[in-house]
Amino acid sequence: MNKMILLQARAVSKRYDAVQALFEANVEVYAGEVHALIGSNGAGKSTLIKILTGAVLPDTGDVLLHGNQIPHGDPKAAIDAGIACIYQESNLVPNLSVMDNILLGRQPTRRMGILDRKAQRARVLDLLKKHDLSLDPDAVVQSLSTVQQKEVEIAKALSLNAKVVLMDEPTAWLSQVEVEKLFRSIRKLTADGDGVLYISHVLDEIFTIADRVTVIRDGKVVLSTPIGETTKGALVQAMLGRQLSSEVSTLRREKAEKQIGPVAIECRHLSRAGLFQDINLQVHRGEIVCITGLIGAKRTELVRTLFGAEPPHSGEVLIDHQTVHIRRPLDAIQRGVGLIPEDRRRDGLLMNLSMNHNLVMGFLPLVTRLGLLAPDLVRQMGQQQVDRLGIVPSRLEIPTRHLSGGNQQKVLIGRWLAGNTGILILDEPTVGVDVGAKADIYKLLHDLADAGAAILIISSDMEEVMTVADRILVMANGGLIASFEKGEMTQEQILNAASGELIK
Amino acid sequence: MLKKIYTQNFGLVGFYLVIVIIFSVLSPVFRTPGNINNLLTGFSHIGILAIGQTFPILLGGIDLSVGAILGLVGMATFDLMLIFGLPGYVAIPIGLLVGLLAGLINGFLIVRLKLNPFIASLATMASFRGLTYAISGRQLFPNLTVLAIQDPTYLAIDGTFGFIPRALVYLLILAAATYFLLHNTKLGMDLYAVGGNENAARLAGVNVNRAKFVAYLISGLCAAIAALILTSRMTTSPEGLGIGFELSAIAAAVIGGVNLQGGSGSTSGPVLGAFLIGTIYTGMNLLGVTQYAQPVVAGAILIGAVGYDQFVKARRKKDLQEQLLLQSLHQMKKGG
Amino acid sequence: MDEKMKRELAGFNRREFLKMSTVGLGTMTLVACAPTVAATAEGGTQTQSSKQAKDSYKMSFIQVQPHTVSTAWGQGIQDVTDVQQDINYKQLDGQADPATQITLMDTAISEGVDAIFLQPADSVALKPSIKKAREAGIPVITLNIDAPEAHAAHVEMNHYFGAMKIAEKMGEMMGGKGNVVILNAPPGIIIRDMRTNGFVEGMKAKYPNIQIIADQSADWDRKKAQDVLSTILASGKEVNGVYGVNDSMALGAMDVAKAKNLLGKMVIFGNDGEKAALESIEAGEMSGTQYTDVWQQGRLAAALAIGLATGGVSAKSFTHQGHILMPYVIATKENVASIQDFQRW
Repeated sequence: MNKMILLQARAVSKRYDAVQALFEANVEVYAGEVHALIGSNGAGKSTLIKILTGAVLPDTGDVLLHGNQIPHGDPKAAIDAGIACIYQESNLVPNLSVMDNILLGRQPTRRMGILDRKAQRARVLDLLKKHDLSLDPDAVVQSLSTVQQKEVEIAKALSLNAKVVLMDEPTAWLSQVEVEKLFRSIRKLTADGDGVLYISHVLDEIFTIADRVTVIRDGKVVLSTPIGETTKGALVQAMLGRQLSSEVSTLRREKAEKQIGPVAIECRHLSRAGLFQDINLQVHRGEIVCITGLIGAKRTELVRTLFGAEPPHSGEVLIDHQTVHIRRPLDAIQRGVGLIPEDRRRDGLLMNLSMNHNLVMGFLPLVTRLGLLAPDLVRQMGQQQVDRLGIVPSRLEIPTRHLSGGNQQKVLIGRWLAGNTGILILDEPTVGVDVGAKADIYKLLHDLADAGAAILIISSDMEEVMTVADRILVMANGGLIASFEKGEMTQEQILNAASGELIK
Repeated sequence: MLKKIYTQNFGLVGFYLVIVIIFSVLSPVFRTPGNINNLLTGFSHIGILAIGQTFPILLGGIDLSVGAILGLVGMATFDLMLIFGLPGYVAIPIGLLVGLLAGLINGFLIVRLKLNPFIASLATMASFRGLTYAISGRQLFPNLTVLAIQDPTYLAIDGTFGFIPRALVYLLILAAATYFLLHNTKLGMDLYAVGGNENAARLAGVNVNRAKFVAYLISGLCAAIAALILTSRMTTSPEGLGIGFELSAIAAAVIGGVNLQGGSGSTSGPVLGAFLIGTIYTGMNLLGVTQYAQPVVAGAILIGAVGYDQFVKARRKKDLQEQLLLQSLHQMKKGG
Repeated sequence: MDEKMKRELAGFNRREFLKMSTVGLGTMTLVACAPTVAATAEGGTQTQSSKQAKDSYKMSFIQVQPHTVSTAWGQGIQDVTDVQQDINYKQLDGQADPATQITLMDTAISEGVDAIFLQPADSVALKPSIKKAREAGIPVITLNIDAPEAHAAHVEMNHYFGAMKIAEKMGEMMGGKGNVVILNAPPGIIIRDMRTNGFVEGMKAKYPNIQIIADQSADWDRKKAQDVLSTILASGKEVNGVYGVNDSMALGAMDVAKAKNLLGKMVIFGNDGEKAALESIEAGEMSGTQYTDVWQQGRLAAALAIGLATGGVSAKSFTHQGHILMPYVIATKENVASIQDFQRW
């Protein structure tokens, strides 16, 4: 492939209030290459992407495509020039169909602006086939699962026939199968001479798909090199400015160190028609249990039932050996169960409220006197959590949406810790969280377990599962099909089990 | 197209028919052609306002000034004809232009000055109303107090085509045209996109500003059309004409399924909503419900209408989701 | 039942419903477009020039909006109609909107009422409706606010001459000199002109030194009147007299004067004769008003209507409306006590 510069960010800087998000950043994407961009959250990656696509105006610097300067802050100009982007947050219109979302803003028309539905459908079906995406073009996006929505975003970006495609954490919600599909599409793009700028936290992916990698830290480019000439460790060090692997390895807990208590939460023959059936599981105090499996195994539905967000059709749930009837989340909360949901933005945090508000929200009785909120107690409790969890930045008034993904997750955990939550359920806790914060969260979970909490985690991240769990359960098609103790299994075994082959 | 209207406003249509049946049974006068004619005539202008209101609401905004625009346009045409002696066929297009201009002003405040639509249209509501009083022909020239509009072209706006009320015809044409616009043109698609997720639309290159301007222009234009109809019917233009109409228009639109948060709804529902409101009031009058109880009864019935419609929608959504789940489970079993 | 069947059934139900709905709506539209001749035939018996006697009659009062005056009219009307034993009387709210009143008129006409009492929100706007009623043979009796379209009768509180008398009394109390502010009705209704012209001409004739320095609309409303007068006072002008074209506005002026301690220096007159105004006069706050027995006004209107309706008179024969002026009293502190409790509305 000829090494011609396709997309270039030249000396781009951006300042938000007191924070210098980007400083004189230079990044190039060559034709036919996959260029990975990595860095901790808050390092400036998303800002750079937004400047490249025209969503945000840079303070200084330029964006060039094929050497031609692209007008700042004009999304249409960027698209017309040939820059497509799969953003991290959902940029779909919920009420419109898949078809309309994929060609958003570019639906084909006949004379006088009348939509040409036939041409549109043909184009979309063609595109879906080409990239092996099985989506119903007429389905309303709102009714799709997170995974499917992500696929719509991918299709949308691919439909632009762009010269450069930017991807911000594209695999965040995808299972192995879909990730493979995406990589195939990426390879098709580069074979055609297009370029891909790929942001991800998953270093394994980067070593699989990328040709070159650039590391951003604190708004500056600190490293840029071909992927073959560097190692995971070197990249992590560049990202954090320190070594991580030692931290992670010490997190693997030795069996002997654990103190497992009595059963905290248990379910027997739990079923919901059409979703999951006959689930029997137990989580002891002091224990971390991970449920893993492929997307669609209905793990989220199971824990939502445990938490009371949906009622079960049959079976029972016991907490501390007593049968309980949890009909709504309040019942679960009152019994000491906390849930950190999959989509923290939609189901967990109130993004516009301050971090402090989100922290104390679940446990208002603890910060009220005579029915009135006591500001001093609120501050106190908030500060406690912030210190304990290491949330950065630590100003309590910061609106939650300004925090990085990892810190947002910490806020959610903090909310449950504020009260006497003895049983914590986490659904994909470290999706979209950077390496440093991940380590913090794992450590936190270990500490909590040591202190006697019963923790149930849903995770698709094999490395996470292997690191954190004391016991691993595998779910497929709504049923629990395998169970492993720590130290008894390998990653392949788990994957095999997940895809339906029982190994006991 | 008709089928789509029914499926969109499933619950509302059913509810409407029930109300009609109840009134028809209880009041013999209700089911006379004359009464139905009155109904269609008397509330077509609310239907037209509701159609116009659909557009700002679709974008997640609102236009509180439509009542004031209506008054302004009416007063403008009145002055043009009775003070300046212009003929009807000149006054009519100017009137429509005034409506468009008013919509443009709203658009400017909301798009360029980035004011909140509620506040912007509240401000223009007051300003347009004040302007209406200021240019009031009858106030400036007291001898015009009892003078009526006599221009035959103008008076021909209201009336009937044979047996069909003209106002109804304008309403239906407008409803069909806007429905087509929303569902079959790129502009309509852009409107839904901006209403559903403005940021996504912007990033996809949709001209968000243009969409917003168009929405408020249409709202202003509809107000102008309604003004022409009413002032033609009345042969004059009272200064306070249109006060309170914006609330009926918004109510009709919301009842008709236009989501106040934006992104969903169409122009067929608001028409139904307007006639539902009209039917309820007329029915109550005929049944002799005391005037003090009427707002209460109307409110209760309207809550019922919206509630029932929402209930049907929610149930349909749930069924759809369960179907989807079953389908995906099916696929998985097959080894997908 | 598998999914396919479930979906088919759901579809079937929906189709059934759609079919019914289409039929229902189709019928309604067809019915609506039926010849209007059928409407008049069914709506009432007033197609001939004379009418037969009936065993029950319907009458409707379409007011501007609920207000002390119109409520009292309604009570007066009802006093008389109730006695007749065969009259159904309805009072309707026009919501201060001419368009609403037009729709109410249409409904009343197609209902085939035997008489309509009307307080037009706008004299010209209601013209076409009054004409329609007349052509359907229905007698229309307007209360206080006339319309330039022939109808049965107009009963009013004697706006012109009463206002003139108010001016004379007011001028006398002001000592023949000073500034007067008029708090007026919204424009476009005949009553406004009559009550204003009577006042202005009366003042000019008897007390030419008195200046009318402002004439502004306060929309019949007490609160609005407060705002208008406060603004005028704030501009620094001296105000010695205020004529509120109805009592509500005069009371609003009184509120402002009281708040600013100007009661002794301002002569405030209203018009209508509400209970609140009379009490204010007794308390020495308002200076006077034109009192009309509004119940009596309602009763007279009703009597007229009943006579016409039961007497088989077709409204088509009216070439212009008859005029009935109500007797009145210019009530001031001296004579207000003579208005008995049972006369206060």
